[in-house]
Amino acid sequence: MNLNKMFAITLTCAISTQAVAHSRWVLPTHFNLSAEKGEWIMVDITASNETFNVDKAMGADLVSIVMPDGKSTRPSSTYKGHRKSVADYFVEDSGTYRITNNSKAAYMTSYTVDGVHKRLWANKMELKGKLPAQATEIKTTYRYSRIESYVTLNAPTNNFKTDGKLLELIPITHPSDIAENEKVTFKFLFNGKVQKNVSVEVTADGSRYRNDPQTVKLTSNENGEVHFIPTAAGRYLLVAEHQENTPNSAFADQQMGSVFLTFEAQLN
Amino acid sequence: MNIKIAGLILLFLTFINFNSLANSNNSTPVALNIELTLKQQNGQYHPPYVASWIENSQGKPVRTLLLWREKAKWLKDIRRWWRKVGKKDAELVDGITSATRITGKYPLSFLAESDNKKRLPQGKYTLFIEVVRENGGRAIIRQPFSLNGEKATFRLAATNETDEITFLVTPQ
Repeated sequence: MNLNKMFAITLTCAISTQAVAHSRWVLPTHFNLSAEKGEWIMVDITASNETFNVDKAMGADLVSIVMPDGKSTRPSSTYKGHRKSVADYFVEDSGTYRITNNSKAAYMTSYTVDGVHKRLWANKMELKGKLPAQATEIKTTYRYSRIESYVTLNAPTNNFKTDGKLLELIPITHPSDIAENEKVTFKFLFNGKVQKNVSVEVTADGSRYRNDPQTVKLTSNENGEVHFIPTAAGRYLLVAEHQENTPNSAFADQQMGSVFLTFEAQLN
Repeated sequence: MNIKIAGLILLFLTFINFNSLANSNNSTPVALNIELTLKQQNGQYHPPYVASWIENSQGKPVRTLLLWREKAKWLKDIRRWWRKVGKKDAELVDGITSATRITGKYPLSFLAESDNKKRLPQGKYTLFIEVVRENGGRAIIRQPFSLNGEKATFRLAATNETDEITFLVTPQ
């Protein structure tokens, strides 16, 4: 397979992104299921920079499953290991399930002391007395990450409700319809509005076994959309980031949202 | 008595006229004959799950011809058919389901009609045959064909799961 040719359609060319943390993901055992009375799935939860090899322990306490009827539920059980957590869940009703391990929105202040970058979890109002006197390059960011994937049992549903908080991804191509050699469209919102120039990176499974991870970089267009064509069936991790300055905020200098979406391109 | 018979004949004629009127926008009926062959395999053998269907020139499925399957759990493994047809239409799946078959030759005939039994309009189509076997492989065969009033014969090359398949398009 030639991953260099993976994405034939790119509306705009690559720009650099400022990845500030490890990639994170939720990886379900199945993305598409057929069953009369439901099926079990398991979900890996990790933080790692090697798609999809697990690395750092990441808890499953924040894992939430939005069922096809829109109600949220929790996994039936979870296990936290040193490299990943695992969640168990019985998918019962037909439809599309959204599995998330979203972070808690938080203020992070980064600064430099004697050339060393440091950070602490506080907003601008809370900084008094917490920063060393010689701290420079002080910047406070309001951050929120969405770590998500979709699993569909039988007929798909559009379980894509948005909440208007920082960065959000709306699948225009339904995740259960993504297939090799077919165009995929995703749309981005920032604080509830269509957002252009969102930085998006898409990496295929198995980067451990490639010299070049062959990450494809895209940016969203005027309609907040990115388009691409996966030319190989398999699992993919999409990482999207967007940040804006917030000069009118007493709490932060900027706000940043990220989305980590795991999806599969099916055999065609 | 004679009036009654005349009435019946009139009714009959009306019926025929109505039918020919209804079909006036379409071509004549077209027979689709497929001689499906499931290949002889070595070792552990589970009869494959098989789906065959027709997509129009936009890639929209218009007719599922056959579905040979057992448990619903494995329907998703007939990847393209499940994505394009099966997952969206439980009723259709139940309606066309038939048991799996072992290795062999299966002559099948259909009319070129949609899922709801309407004659397919003239145009370009693709016949799909997808075969998936537990502990085996998957094969997907695509054969473009036209409904244009002309007869056509296709020989679909053997795959890991099928021997050569004959596909005939025959206007009646």
